Amino acid sequence: MSRSILLTGVGLIALWALSFGLSFADLGHAGLPVALAIAVVKATLVGAIFMELASASASIRFSVLAAGALAALLIGLVVADIEMRDPPPLVPPGYDAAAR
Amino acid sequence: MTQRTHAARLGMWVFLASEVLLFTVLFTVYADARARYPEVFHHEIHAHADKVLGSVNTAILLVSSTLVAAGVHALKENQRSRATALVFATVVLGLCFLGIKGHEYIDHVHHDIVPGHGIFWTLYFTMTGLHALHVCAGVVTLSLVARTKHVIVLENAALYWHLVDVIWIFLWPLFYLA
Repeated sequence: MSRSILLTGVGLIALWALSFGLSFADLGHAGLPVALAIAVVKATLVGAIFMELASASASIRFSVLAAGALAALLIGLVVADIEMRDPPPLVPPGYDAAAR
Repeated sequence: MTQRTHAARLGMWVFLASEVLLFTVLFTVYADARARYPEVFHHEIHAHADKVLGSVNTAILLVSSTLVAAGVHALKENQRSRATALVFATVVLGLCFLGIKGHEYIDHVHHDIVPGHGIFWTLYFTMTGLHALHVCAGVVTLSLVARTKHVIVLENAALYWHLVDVIWIFLWPLFYLA
């Protein structure tokens, strides 16, 4: 096993243990952001070392960046749609409970 | 690197990019639901999510990613039998993941928690179920290519497995930890 792969694996397990341990601490509202931040580090390690993005060609990095840009656009449009919706009525429009 | 090898690798990455977009939609829906009903998510995670099993599954996938990466490296070094053994070990870990996931699902059903049982559990079954389907596909693919002598074939299968791992890296804190 190559040294970089072994070290990355050990690092991933260490970060996993850190996440697991911190989940028992009362971090309040910081709990989820901390857990996600550790997740980002782990995902970066997997992407850079295991998936060899760190040494990938320009065309492969471009496809990754394109996915990221499209994902950001998708998230932005979904959030915009949600924020601009009217609140749902408590009963369906036109429903007349007295008539039933 | 030959042009054919590069084309194969680029094609795989384009496919992975489409998979990322698929899960991006679901993560966005999760983010919106959690922003609207934080107390529901907090309660359900702490009352019914099995943190230990979810964490064991996370460790399983992290180790499996390490093993399949080592398998690809071994094949590049022309150590075919070692590569095959590492890939089959990855497959075994993948099957362990699915077994634990199945056990969790059965336990949830015994507690009358099914898809449609509120926004949290609907998202849970949708996202982890879709992920589990991807794990199944990864297990089958790795089993089929475990004995290949072509590095690019194993590399592409390993890339898929790493993406499955990355997706779970984010599912774990969202449904088990916080």
